[in-house]
Amino acid sequence: MYSNINLPRQWSRLSYIYRTLTTLEGQTLPQSTKSSDGISPPPRIPRGPTDILQALAATVGPDPTAAHYKYHDDPYLIPLSNFRKRSYALSAEAGRKAAAWIRDEHAELFNTREWDPPGKMKTPYFNADPHIDAFAPKPLYNDESKVTEEDLKYTINNALLEDSLKIFQLLGGTSGVNEELRIAFLQLLCFYNEKEPDSMEWLEERWFSANIRERQAATWKLGGLADKIFESLEPKTSEAYCCIIQGMAKYYQAERAYVLTQEAKDNGIKLSTSVYNSLLGCIGFLKEGTALRTETLKSLLVEMEEQGISPNNETLTSCLRSISAWGGGKMLQQLALQIVAEFKKLGIEPGLSAYYYLLCLFCKERGPRVDILSGILNDLEKRESLEPKEPTDTNFFITAMGVCSDHLQDINLAERLHALLMKDDNYKLVGDAYKESIYYRHFVTVACRHAPFERTTQLLDMLVPNVYVPEPTVMEEIIKTLEVGGAGDRLAQVWSQLVVFGIAKRAKLVERLLSAMCSCYQYQENEVKEKMRAAAADVLRYSQLAEDKEETKDLRSPTQKLSATTLSNIIELCSDTQDKSDPNWDTVSEALQKLRRSEAVGVPNKPQVLADVAQKAATVGKAGIAAVAVTYLAECGFEEAISASTQVLGVMLNRPQEEVKQLLQERQGLDSLHPSALAIADAYHLAKTGAPAQDLDTSTSSESDSESSSEDE
Amino acid sequence: MNTSALRLVQLQNPLGNLLSPALASQIHTSSPLCRVVSGKYRITKKRDRPLTYEMANPPHYIAHRKSWNSWNTSNLKDGLRRSETAVEDEFIRRFMTGTWHGLVCSEVIIKRQFNHIRVAAIIRRAVSPTKMYFLLGYTEELLANWLQCPVTLEIQTVDSFQDVVFKYI
Repeated sequence: MYSNINLPRQWSRLSYIYRTLTTLEGQTLPQSTKSSDGISPPPRIPRGPTDILQALAATVGPDPTAAHYKYHDDPYLIPLSNFRKRSYALSAEAGRKAAAWIRDEHAELFNTREWDPPGKMKTPYFNADPHIDAFAPKPLYNDESKVTEEDLKYTINNALLEDSLKIFQLLGGTSGVNEELRIAFLQLLCFYNEKEPDSMEWLEERWFSANIRERQAATWKLGGLADKIFESLEPKTSEAYCCIIQGMAKYYQAERAYVLTQEAKDNGIKLSTSVYNSLLGCIGFLKEGTALRTETLKSLLVEMEEQGISPNNETLTSCLRSISAWGGGKMLQQLALQIVAEFKKLGIEPGLSAYYYLLCLFCKERGPRVDILSGILNDLEKRESLEPKEPTDTNFFITAMGVCSDHLQDINLAERLHALLMKDDNYKLVGDAYKESIYYRHFVTVACRHAPFERTTQLLDMLVPNVYVPEPTVMEEIIKTLEVGGAGDRLAQVWSQLVVFGIAKRAKLVERLLSAMCSCYQYQENEVKEKMRAAAADVLRYSQLAEDKEETKDLRSPTQKLSATTLSNIIELCSDTQDKSDPNWDTVSEALQKLRRSEAVGVPNKPQVLADVAQKAATVGKAGIAAVAVTYLAECGFEEAISASTQVLGVMLNRPQEEVKQLLQERQGLDSLHPSALAIADAYHLAKTGAPAQDLDTSTSSESDSESSSEDE
Repeated sequence: MNTSALRLVQLQNPLGNLLSPALASQIHTSSPLCRVVSGKYRITKKRDRPLTYEMANPPHYIAHRKSWNSWNTSNLKDGLRRSETAVEDEFIRRFMTGTWHGLVCSEVIIKRQFNHIRVAAIIRRAVSPTKMYFLLGYTEELLANWLQCPVTLEIQTVDSFQDVVFKYI
């Protein structure tokens, strides 16, 4: 059995050699498309190391039914609210950071290849084989480090600004570093304005970082290290001028930038396209008034032509950026269109950023409706792919969706835009978490307001909750749509969504939800009605829990109390039952007690509801509930109290209304009545005269009686 | 095991000296306990020792009723890095049980595919999800740095240890 193993092994080795030979031969073959025998194999396509992975990834689309893949696929670990999404992702990254810190601090423990015997160690430092940069400890620099120019090169290449500053000082400042490295360092300083950039390594922090809008002010550090290094460069090359001017223009130190440009031109130093681009971007900080600014813009463009510098995509973007920042008006809009047309003639198509600035310029909040978006979409849909080129490219989709929602109010356009975002891997253009949520806020709002009901619900089912969790304002919009569409089932679901999303404590939202439920309760099916009743009862229970929690724990912000209207809506929903033993009566009585203890804000806007409930309760035999409802009505001074009390009493005593009225007028023989009936009689007099029939003591005792009687039942 | 190894040597001998030096080390001299004791749990007097499904099945049920705890190709014939893999797996297991202290309710399963290590375990829901995410990120990153390859954690959570108890002996 074991003896004949060797032969196939030799065979396999032979065939391996054969295969290698053929592949070696094969590699040389398809160099040219022509061959003598008429067979023409296609030329070899050079592939990158990740091409196959990218091709594989392209076959998998986003899955809206599952949480984002950065979250762990476990019911306990899937986030369902915005707060949780943020905190989970950032916690995981904090863990990664902790691990990276340990690795860097204790680099000597991560020094050998895994469990290599000590004899095999090649260097005492880091022997991993193959060496993978991402897993290697990062060097730490402090005041005692022995550094060389290599270290400076490393930090500059990896954009480690603080570290490179330190090394630069350790190397002895401007005198200790050679010219080439000094320029590289100057470029780094100018690009980041001597401020440490957010690390590329921590994606989640970048994704969730609060949207800090770049301050549109001169933040350039005058007389800073960059200026000093620039001074020290001798002779000043074109490269040095280019980077210091770009840095100044980028951080809006426009005047100095222009002075330096003039200086460079006088010295006959050639400037690059990017320099002019950045100068075009900060005209607004140099000149006042539209006419002057326009003139400067044009003169700069003319100057470019004179110098023989060809404009590029960014030139167009910076022109439009400047123009859009100068305000609105027909003249600027015309100018912008002229510029775009001119660039198109040169064969430069506007990119996403250019379109973003055009949208900013044309679609003002209180301006006339201008539909340039459909033209833009026509153009973008025709393009093969949307490549991000500038940081502002990520503003396009959110702005365009905002225009769809607020300016044009067009759902078809919004859907086209969304389809474009979902095409290929355009989703990377959505920006960050903040922009993404605003994008979907606009999208859902426009869908709720202008789309047919089915399409809206379909969209909501797809987006909520894994892709997008609606904010309270959007939730209100959704509730409104569901109310109009009469979807009681979904309204009942909305309550559980509110709880899950962590916005169930917003009293206004809950009030809105319950009034929506009440308004479309009548024409629902029985099954749906039951669900809605359950949801209403749950609202009360939830608020009770929240209040209990507030009492036990001293919370900083007090929980909002349910309003009286909300409570009366709960009462209306829960009292829709003919069964005396229905547990919903407990909810009704609890809500009524809450109202009477004046734990709710305001008074109910529909007192007739309470009168109806009182009668219904009396019919079913819940005298206590009826008494509390009528008493509350009387105490609040509603007119309905009088009619309600006579009707309820009529039902309770099983007598016609006239007789009851007479009985109440005479106040005779009332003492022999059931305590609940007595309470109603009191309420009648309170409503009629503004004072209870008996003195205070008896009325309170009757009240307590009524409560106990309601518990007895 | 011992006898089969011996027989193997005898069979190979006539063929020549291709494999014999490597096989010489496979002859065991310790007493063969593997079939009797190892991987099995002793019954307690009160019959209150909790066993998970994995523990309840003795080793000879591997591939019948239960599966392996380490999935790799090192232990196949001509596999590479045998001892390294074994030591690394032990390191990963200790690291997991120590980092997720008192939370791991099952064996730690280690699956290797290409240069990728997937570590699976059942975890008790005794800490908040936020803390779990912190530990997840920490474990993945530190193990990846240590083992010089991507490491993924595949965690499943249960409410309490009771949920994984299969029987008491």
